[in-house]
Amino acid sequence: MSSDGPTPAERFLRGILPENPVLRQVLGICPTLAVTNTMEGAVTMTGAVLFVLTCANVLVSLIRPLLKPHLRILVFTLTIATFVTIADRLLAAFLYDMSRQLGPYIPLIIVNCIIIARCEICASKQPVRTALMDALGQSLGFGLALCALASVREILGFGTWFGKWLGWRVLPVGLSERVWAPWTVMILPPGAFIALALLLGAVNWATARARARKEA
Amino acid sequence: MTRSPHGPVPREAAVTASAPAPVAPAVSVAPGPHLHAAASTQRMMADVLVGLAPLVAVAVAQFRQHALFQMAIASCSAVVSEWLFARMRGRPATLWDLSALVTGLILALSLPAGAPWYAGAVGAAVAIGLGKAIFGGLGQNLFNPAMVGRAFAMISFPAALGASAYVSPSLGIEAVTSATPLTAFKMSGQVTPIGPLFLGATNGSIGETSALAALLGGLYLCFRRTAPWEIPAGAILAMGAAALPGLAGGGTTWTLAHDLSAGAFMYGAFFIATDPVTSPLTPRGKWIFGAGFGLLVAMIRRFSGYPEGVMFAILVMNALVPLINRGTIPVPVGGPAPQTR
Amino acid sequence: MKRNPILDAWLVIALSAGFGSSLAAVQAALKPRIEANKLCDTLGQVPVLVTSATRAEKVVVGDRVYYRALDAAGVTVGWVVPASGQGFADKIELLIGLDATASTITGIYVLDQKETPGLGDNITTEAFRRRFLRKPADVPLSVRKDGAAAAHEIEAITGATISSESVVAIVNAALRQFAGQLRSGAIRPGGIP
Repeated sequence: MSSDGPTPAERFLRGILPENPVLRQVLGICPTLAVTNTMEGAVTMTGAVLFVLTCANVLVSLIRPLLKPHLRILVFTLTIATFVTIADRLLAAFLYDMSRQLGPYIPLIIVNCIIIARCEICASKQPVRTALMDALGQSLGFGLALCALASVREILGFGTWFGKWLGWRVLPVGLSERVWAPWTVMILPPGAFIALALLLGAVNWATARARARKEA
Repeated sequence: MTRSPHGPVPREAAVTASAPAPVAPAVSVAPGPHLHAAASTQRMMADVLVGLAPLVAVAVAQFRQHALFQMAIASCSAVVSEWLFARMRGRPATLWDLSALVTGLILALSLPAGAPWYAGAVGAAVAIGLGKAIFGGLGQNLFNPAMVGRAFAMISFPAALGASAYVSPSLGIEAVTSATPLTAFKMSGQVTPIGPLFLGATNGSIGETSALAALLGGLYLCFRRTAPWEIPAGAILAMGAAALPGLAGGGTTWTLAHDLSAGAFMYGAFFIATDPVTSPLTPRGKWIFGAGFGLLVAMIRRFSGYPEGVMFAILVMNALVPLINRGTIPVPVGGPAPQTR
Repeated sequence: MKRNPILDAWLVIALSAGFGSSLAAVQAALKPRIEANKLCDTLGQVPVLVTSATRAEKVVVGDRVYYRALDAAGVTVGWVVPASGQGFADKIELLIGLDATASTITGIYVLDQKETPGLGDNITTEAFRRRFLRKPADVPLSVRKDGAAAAHEIEAITGATISSESVVAIVNAALRQFAGQLRSGAIRPGGIP
C-alpha cells in the first residue's frame, strides 16, 4: 500500500464489491451460513454488524496513538465484545423476536473475523473519517452478501420474501404441491452451504470474465 | 494381456496416468500388472439396464403411467445434467457410456409413484452434479450418486418422499391406497402376507415392490460379473443373522422372509450396493461391505423412526469403503513385501 | 530499562473500566424491558390459551412454575401449564391452557421446537393445536393416525407421527403432574378469587 492509500470514499466503495468481506475475503462465514434462511435474519445481523463494526472502528481509530503493538489485539477484542454485548441487549429489548431467532449468533459477532480484521488493517492505522467510511463500506458489503443469500434461501425455502415483517409472498398461496413445493433443504444448513458455494462460484466466474474482457 | 512395460497400454490406464495433462506423453509407462479386461463402462451399464428390465416391467405393470412418468423425468434430468456438468468442466460429454441414464433410472425406481415432478428432476440433477461431477466424474465419486440424489430430494421435499408420500389414493392405482408393508408393520404391527410381498403386489417405491424381479435381474448381473455376488450374499447373510434374536424370542409373524422381501432390500443389495465405484475392491472387503449394509438396514428398520433404511445404509457404507479397502489389502503370494527403511 | 507491566497496560485497564461501567449502565437501562419481553412472550399467550383471561400470575411449586389466569375481576378462570420434553429432534417446550377446574384443555402453544421443517414443525400450526381444544385434561390423551374418534384422541400430523406423539406425551406428563399438585393442595384451586 502506498503512503497515501485509498481515499475514504474509495475505501467505502471497495468494501461493497471489490473487497467484499464475504464474497471476496470469505470472512464471517458463520453468520453468513447460520442466519440467512430469512431476510429478517439477514437484515438484523447486518444491522448488528454495522453497529459493532462502526463503533469499534471509530473507537480504535480514536485511541490509535495509544495502542501498544503487543496489547492491540486485546484492546480490539475488548472493544468489540463491549459493543456486541450492547447490540445483543438492544436487540433483546427492542426486537425480542429477532433476538430469539438469531439466538447465539449475535454474541458470536465477537469472534467474527471481519471486525477484528478491519480494526487491524484499517482503524488502527487510519484517521477517524477513513475508519468510519471503511466500516460502513464493509458492513454494506456484508449486508449485500447476506441479503443475496437470504433472498435465494427464503424464496426457495419458504416461498416468501420478508415473509415475517412484510408478508410478501413470491409463490402464490394456493399453489398445488404437484407444481412446486417449498424447498425445505434451503432453510436447513445444507442449503446454506450449497447456496453460498454457488454464489461464490458465480462471483468468481463474473470477476474472471470481467478481468478477461479488460485485458482483451 | 500385456506384460511388457513398452507394450500397448490399456486405454484406461493411460488416461488415468495423464488425466490432468491434455497432451499424452510420448511413451507412457504404467506400472504393472497390465491386465486387459473386456469390461468397459458402456458394457457394464448396458448390463445394468438389462438387469433392471424386470423391475421396470413390474413397475410399469403396477403403477402404469406414473412409473413411466417418474422414469422419464429422472432419466431426462440425469442425462441433461450430465451433459451440462461435462460442458461446465470443459470435458467431452460422456453420455454414451450410459452411466447417467443408469443413475437416473435407479433413482426413479426408488421414488414413490405419486412423487411430484421436481423430486425426480432435482434428485437426478443433484445425483449427477453433487454426487458425481464435483468429485471429478464417473469413477471418482465417494457416494452412490442415485442415493445422494434421493437423500437430497428427501430432505428438500420431506412431504413428497416421506412415508406419507407413498399413500396417494388420488392416483387411481390400487396398490397406493394403503401404507407400504414396512410402514404398516412399523406403525401398527400389521404383517403383509409373504406372497404379494415377494411377487410385488404391494405399495412402495416403484422399483422395489417385487423382490422376485430384483432377484432375477440381480442374479443376471452377478452371472455377468457386472455385480460382485459377494455383496448381496453378505447382505442376505447379515439380515439373517440380525433376525436370529427375533427367532429366539418367537411369537412374531414378521419373519426373515418378510425382511428380505419387503422394501428396497433386494433392489438395494443387488443394484445399488454393487456399484463398482462406491463398493470395496477386494473380495473380503465386498463381504464386509455387504454384511454391513444388511446389518444397517436391519437396525434402521428395527430401531429408528424410519420404516426403511436402504438409502442411509448405502450412504453410510459408501463412506466406510476407503477404510474397508485399506483393511483388506490381500497379501501377495510369498508373504508381504519386506519393509524397506 | 525494565518497564512496569501495570503501567504498560494502563490503556487496557482504563478501557475495561470504561466498558464495564457502560455495559452495566446499558444492562440497567434495558433490563426491565428485556424481562418484560420474556414474560410477555409467555403471558401474551394466556388470553389465547384461556378464554376470558386478561392477565396471569405466577404460581411456584417447588421447581415448577405455573400461571394462574385471571379475568379482569381477579377471578381464576384457568391455568397455563408450561411443559417440556423430548421431541423427534430436540426438546419441545409447550404452554398448555386449562379451564378453571383444570378438567378441560383450552389451548396449547409451542414456545420452542426444532422438529423436522416441513413435517414435524407442523406441530406449531393452528390446525394441529386446535386438535387439543376441549379435550379432557383428566384422562391421558392418545394419538390416532386415521382421525380422532373418541374424546381423548388426537389425530396425528400426516408424516409426523413421532412429533405428534411427543407433544401428546409431554401434555399428558405435565397434566398428570399438575393434577397431582392440585389434589395435594400445593396449589390453591381455581374458582375462588
